[in-house]
Amino acid sequence: MEKNFINTSFSKKLKSMLNVDFKRLSVSPFFYVMVGISLVVPILILVMTTMMDGVVTNNPQTGLPGEPMQGFDYVWQILGSLSGTSVEQSGMTMDLVSMCNINMMFFAVAVFVCIFISEDFRSGYAKNLFSVRARKTDYVISKSIVCFAGSACMFIAFFIGAIIGGAVADLPFTMQGFNGANLVFCMLSKIFLIPVFVSIFTLMSVIAKQKSWLAICLSLGVGMLLFMMISTLTPLNANIVNVLASIAGSVLFAVGMGAISNLVLKKTSLI
Amino acid sequence: MNAIEIKNLTKNFGEKQALQGLNMTVPVGSIYGFIGENGSGKSTTEKIICGLIHPSGGSVKLYGKDYTDEESRANLGVLIETPGCFSNLSVWNNLMIQAKNLSIENPEDEIRKILKLVRMEGAAGNKYKNCSLGMKQRIGIAMALLGKPKLLVLDEPINGLDADGMRIMREILVDVTKNGATVVVSSHILGELEKVATHYGIVRKGKMIKEMTAEELEKSCRTYVALQTKNMDETKKLLSYKYSRVEKDEKGYLRVYDVVKTQEIVAYLYENGVIVNEIKTDKIGLEEYYIDLMSEKGVK
Repeated sequence: MEKNFINTSFSKKLKSMLNVDFKRLSVSPFFYVMVGISLVVPILILVMTTMMDGVVTNNPQTGLPGEPMQGFDYVWQILGSLSGTSVEQSGMTMDLVSMCNINMMFFAVAVFVCIFISEDFRSGYAKNLFSVRARKTDYVISKSIVCFAGSACMFIAFFIGAIIGGAVADLPFTMQGFNGANLVFCMLSKIFLIPVFVSIFTLMSVIAKQKSWLAICLSLGVGMLLFMMISTLTPLNANIVNVLASIAGSVLFAVGMGAISNLVLKKTSLI
Repeated sequence: MNAIEIKNLTKNFGEKQALQGLNMTVPVGSIYGFIGENGSGKSTTEKIICGLIHPSGGSVKLYGKDYTDEESRANLGVLIETPGCFSNLSVWNNLMIQAKNLSIENPEDEIRKILKLVRMEGAAGNKYKNCSLGMKQRIGIAMALLGKPKLLVLDEPINGLDADGMRIMREILVDVTKNGATVVVSSHILGELEKVATHYGIVRKGKMIKEMTAEELEKSCRTYVALQTKNMDETKKLLSYKYSRVEKDEKGYLRVYDVVKTQEIVAYLYENGVIVNEIKTDKIGLEEYYIDLMSEKGVK
């Protein structure tokens, strides 16, 4: 009995697996839900914080009036803050508003990656895949690339949502202390930083396998440790250095975490 | 060369020893019936063969090469527990995903052929989640058959199938082996397995207790005399005086397992005032052989 696929090269295998994973992503309702959420969230944030801007609420413990709620001064604040400024100087305090920016999308990415990968193990797809294929490397590479692409779509959706939300909330699109090029670099550095997190979340997902809840908990826990570096690496006044730093970090993490993910798949049970 | 050769396979899950030095030999071109109680180690062995879990010790060779070898893995077709399908995708798309992962050339043609083989041509557009259990099992077989594997490992493929589904499954297995493939199939439905298996392996508590061909099973399955009388209890008592093993079966017959002629039994009972209504000789099947072996009643 002749087999018609026995001598397939690594690149061909990877290509076919990428093809499959992109196809899966394109037909996955979950992916579109995540992109939809990414689009709607900034609209809601900008509209609601603008509506609440200046509203004073009483402190429930003392009964005295608290600090007035502070909204966004301009639309782009939802994409980050300027580097070299303290929290106060950047016009934002450590309140709800300052936390509700694009950086929280990295947590949404954690949910997306963990559920996307754990579905492979839950459905038995991984079982089919690994029983006839010895290479775990192409699986890790393929998942990382596809999850990066999916996550990038979520970030772009958030950016579009921010523009729509800004227009709806009638917030100014002014750029204070940065220009259009900085804004582009800021978005690029955030997008190129995604692989750092995707590689971590992929590792957590292959550790947890079909237990998506465990993968999400682990990912959020580890993601939290790196969360603070996001605003430092990707400020609103970012330049090419920030983009290159993000790419370098991503390459390092993708290779390192990818190798560990590969090792985990090789050394542990796959079901 | 054997399709599978396993030596001293061990697998521990914590303190539990799932496999305790299991040996197994599956000849090329055979349909190997893999039998054992729940928890005896069948699925664990199959999962190791498929590279899904790692053994604690021992060796597993597929067509003479280590089971981790990429080339030997490419010869595998697998259905372990459930088919690995995405519920929101159609049957066709699920098969296409597997075909692409296997880098099959002209996947459309091969999928069409395989859907025909598993009698699922009309269901290609159905969503997997809307398929019946029997259809899902056949989709699992179709997935396993993609890429014309030389070795098929099927874990309980006939579970939940109706009579027609079982017949189709039997035909598929026979068709596959006609093309030179080897099949390892585990099942609790021994009557069905007996109709297609050419070799058997009986596993108990993580050890292979018996491996044999269908011919050897045939020889091992001793004949018995089955009879019915008006007073079965009295007859059983009488027969038990003379013969070493007399049992009542689920169909209401008394079975005498000793080597004895029917005329001899008829004469003996007649002498004791018992008229035999019906008497026949028969052979025990795989199921009874297995039950005997498990209960260590001493069937040869």
